[in-house]
Amino acid sequence: MSLTTPRRSRAVTASLLALVLSVGTACGDDGPGTSASGSIKIGLLASLSGTYQAVGKEIRDGFELYLATHDGKLGGRQVDLVVADEGNGAATAVPAATKLLKQDRVVALTGIVGGGSVAGVYPLLNETKVPLVGSNGRPELKEVSRVWHTSYLSDEPGAAIAQHVRDNVKGSVYAIGPDYQGGWDELRGFTDAFDKAGGKLANPDGKTTFTPFPATTNFTPYFARIKASGAAAVYTFYAGSAAVDFVKQYAQSEIKDVPLYAAGFLTEGGVLNAQGEAARDIYSVLNYSPDLDNAENRAFVAAWKAKHDGSPTTYALASYDAAAVLDRAIGAAGNDPTPEAINKAIGQLGQIASPRGTWQFSTTTHSPVQKWYLRQVRQDGRALSNTVVGDLATIGR
Amino acid sequence: MIAVAAGTNRIDPYLIPALDGVAYGLLVFVAASGLVFCFGVANILNLAHGMLYAIGGYTAAALLDGGWASLALALGVGVLAAAAAGVLLAGLLTPVATGNHLTQALLTFGVALAGGSLLVAGFGPDDPQVQVPAALDGSVVVAGHRYAAYRLVFIVVAAVIAAGLYLAVRRTRAGMLIRAAVDDAEMVACMGVSPARIRAGVLAAAGALAGAAGVLGAPIIGPGTDTADTVLLLSLVVVVLGGLGSMAGTLLAALAIGEIQTLGVALLPSAAPFLLFAAMAAVLAVRARGFATSRRVT
Repeated sequence: MSLTTPRRSRAVTASLLALVLSVGTACGDDGPGTSASGSIKIGLLASLSGTYQAVGKEIRDGFELYLATHDGKLGGRQVDLVVADEGNGAATAVPAATKLLKQDRVVALTGIVGGGSVAGVYPLLNETKVPLVGSNGRPELKEVSRVWHTSYLSDEPGAAIAQHVRDNVKGSVYAIGPDYQGGWDELRGFTDAFDKAGGKLANPDGKTTFTPFPATTNFTPYFARIKASGAAAVYTFYAGSAAVDFVKQYAQSEIKDVPLYAAGFLTEGGVLNAQGEAARDIYSVLNYSPDLDNAENRAFVAAWKAKHDGSPTTYALASYDAAAVLDRAIGAAGNDPTPEAINKAIGQLGQIASPRGTWQFSTTTHSPVQKWYLRQVRQDGRALSNTVVGDLATIGR
Repeated sequence: MIAVAAGTNRIDPYLIPALDGVAYGLLVFVAASGLVFCFGVANILNLAHGMLYAIGGYTAAALLDGGWASLALALGVGVLAAAAAGVLLAGLLTPVATGNHLTQALLTFGVALAGGSLLVAGFGPDDPQVQVPAALDGSVVVAGHRYAAYRLVFIVVAAVIAAGLYLAVRRTRAGMLIRAAVDDAEMVACMGVSPARIRAGVLAAAGALAGAAGVLGAPIIGPGTDTADTVLLLSLVVVVLGGLGSMAGTLLAALAIGEIQTLGVALLPSAAPFLLFAAMAAVLAVRARGFATSRRVT
């Protein structure tokens, strides 16, 4: 007796269905980003090409350093780190993040240099319900239930140093910065807090002077105005090549003896080498300095110097801390570290020990409540380096 | 207190920006003069001109080590490399009919894009550091104000280059041929001088000028990913403002750009983003042909 054609095809369909179901359940056991062997997939998105690649590489290296010093594991699970290139901004960051989230199905995303890239990737996070532990750029966001940052908010450096400038500068202070969102936030942080502390700006109209960005390469005309204003000190924020131009020209200008205070990015990392002697004595505010005296930092700096030339930057530190956050959160997320479980665990971490000193996430902004340091560019052995000269405010909200 | 200071000397705060405007203007002049030559003499619209400047700039960044010898070396290498790139361009442009500006613009713009990518691939995407000779890496006091020593010396050097250029065009046989080619290219060809040779010569000279500007101007408009665009834009503004005919017009336009970018910004900082182009529009509105009055190379 033979099976009739319809019955045979039904049997084939049934066996196919069984096969699909068994494969399906096997996949279901894994869940996104984890496998039966207990390894876990983390996505790192950073600018490895383009304008911000110096920062992007620090971020990648900081995360990899944490893995290298922790047997390649986070929360006891072997980590499969998938690195993708963010490029110059959202246009390149969004496709790269889409691949990480939808194709690689990572359980958590980290890195991201630009605030604009974070804003572009943000809708994807809500769609895939994967948490972002960002280590640099932080735009204005309405809702941060899945967004965490180990770096800072752009207006915090200025807010942290304002009282110190008020107390130590005898006279008015000239505020100048680049004309874009980052510059507005950085300078507003300073001028608001400085105003509250009773300080007076030397700018003729009482408002910050903003220079066209990135078009401004010659700051001489602005220095002439600062000289004419009779300012006793200058507060600024520039980064990248604008920071190099500003500092080198400042040192050769007629206001070279006017004390210069800045958000730490003015003299952070590679730009300090390019500025050289011109950067000597500049005061800056940042949440980290490689010469901080604590056990975590000594271990971090030693491990960094074993692999790289020079000292780690705040960018590398933030990414190292992002790995530390994920390490503890994955460990606390139980046997099944789904993206939701990891996100929940991050919110319950409490105090986090770090090379920058202990910090914790703010419950409202999901960015660090942390101490800021006053640094000065001084001789350190053969090279110039940002040396901590004092503690400033602890800030976070 | 401020009012008193301003009352006693209103001009004083603007001395340094004005001086800096001269330095900037002379740099723009040396950088742009090559483009003006190409356009005015060989009738070639060379949109790769900014790239020629960038070649000089990157050469300076790579070779300068704080000594005088390295400056001489960088100047030699930068001028030769940029001049060679100019000759290469002339070769690429040979099949393109003289005066066909759209094809020339497309071709040279393509070369500029490719060349720019090659420079970034070769020297890296970061703006490299330029080390000026140690003796000039400081500031000097000018009329009671501090000013960068390098820029002060640059003003003198650029003025010498400008004077040399004027004499070369006015007094040498090559200069006479160039002026003759502008007036009557056919007659020059009849005299046995190949127009292709004049074109190659003009592009080489333009490259050499841009290369020299790139090396000497590297501490002022430094090499970087957008240097070529910046220099090309400024050079085109010089062409628009100064016209094509006279070196005096070019010089005047370049100095005006320098002062607008420095003194203008010091006087009206809030207008800084559009000051240059507002000035350009104003000049065009008043005199459609720019500062120049004749179409001759004088």
